[in-house]
Amino acid sequence: MNKTNICPEYKARLKTAAELINKVRDEIKKGVLVRKNLVWLELTGCSGNIISLLDGANPDFKYLISQMVSFVYDNSLMASEGEAAMEQLMAITDKEYILAAEGAVATKNNGLYNIIGRFKGEPVTALKAISMLGEKASHVIALGACATHGGVSAANPNPAGCVSVQSVLSRKVIKLPGCPCHPDWFLGTLAHILLYGEPELDSKDRPLLFYSTLIHDRCPRRSFFDQGIFATRLGESTCMFKLGCRGPVTRTDCPVRKWNQYVNWPVEDDTPCIGCAQFGFPDQMEPFITYNTTRVVKLIQKKEK
Amino acid sequence: MRECDDEICKRIKRIIAESDNCINLLYATSCICTKNVLLYQLKTMLDEINFLSCLLCKQSEQIQAGYSELPQQNQGEFTIKELAKFNGKDGNPAYVAVNGLVYDVTNNAAWAAASHFGLTAGKDLTGEFASCHAGQAILNKLKITGKLI
Repeated sequence: MNKTNICPEYKARLKTAAELINKVRDEIKKGVLVRKNLVWLELTGCSGNIISLLDGANPDFKYLISQMVSFVYDNSLMASEGEAAMEQLMAITDKEYILAAEGAVATKNNGLYNIIGRFKGEPVTALKAISMLGEKASHVIALGACATHGGVSAANPNPAGCVSVQSVLSRKVIKLPGCPCHPDWFLGTLAHILLYGEPELDSKDRPLLFYSTLIHDRCPRRSFFDQGIFATRLGESTCMFKLGCRGPVTRTDCPVRKWNQYVNWPVEDDTPCIGCAQFGFPDQMEPFITYNTTRVVKLIQKKEK
Repeated sequence: MRECDDEICKRIKRIIAESDNCINLLYATSCICTKNVLLYQLKTMLDEINFLSCLLCKQSEQIQAGYSELPQQNQGEFTIKELAKFNGKDGNPAYVAVNGLVYDVTNNAAWAAASHFGLTAGKDLTGEFASCHAGQAILNKLKITGKLI
């Protein structure tokens, strides 16, 4: 039987691929090529941001934990529990790690309103956890309305004394507001950190990658606004400015990126933007909807027989 | 205006014919998908009818965009009490006072629903403005309607 001759060019290509794989394998063995550690703290919040993260598509969660980072700790998703989980969390402070924090920080009664675990018999409050882990991390990313400015947790009357993550840390905190934060905004920021370091931030520490332009300036209904054609109730396809749309004061890329794996966003579903990604949400974004506006519109009344 | 009315009436008649056709199709089809598409089309047609009828009503009442009939003050002078009427509700325009001048924010994008970051219109917001927008060139872009007395 004749032995099949492989094309020499193809042979050379196979050799190159093998060399690369061997190099990666060696570097991993030597500890030169390592995935950075990611710690995710769920503080005084609803855990909406970790759920939003699981909805990520490009990249998705599987890619995040297998290729991007070594996901060391998260209250909802890690395999270990109880003391073992807390030990994993405490042990990470000796190594280099990126910290993602969602949820505000309850400060009343020394933070006893929010306990994230028990370690060696002592309760670990959210306040203690963020203070300890926040100062030592290489980067701190505050995700979601609550972590960036207090958000829903700090809404009036704020019985637990909730504050933003930045208020309890003296170092720089990258802020990704949103209720919840879009998975792309977090994964994109994380990817930028892993590849090129800290992304360009605006004056409020939000990455310009995602928070540069007002929704109003990218709204598909902008021409209705400019022409003064306003909707009078939900479900209409014109500009919802008179109903209280907060697109003009919110800086995110919702109109182009959209949600739930790029399917839709509130305005295109005929409901106004409530400004969930702007500082001040929710108290300062109220009313989310109003029918008592600057214009009286007479709708056709059905004649009663 | 008459021509506009004729156009609108023609359009309304057209939409009625289209929705009639839609309903006939709905009777005929048994496929859920087709039914949903037809229902969505009906919904869009209803929206348009509503929009057109609003136009007609507005024309017949001769209400100008954004403003309703109000008793005239002394040439744009407002007391605090008078200013409170212009809170952007019940068809009233939205006015705010800063540094003694009264500005019209009815159609200002940042004042959707006559509110801005938790503040409502019809008030003197000099203090709030200074604490947030000091040094920013915002006031010179706003329309002045009078002064605060």
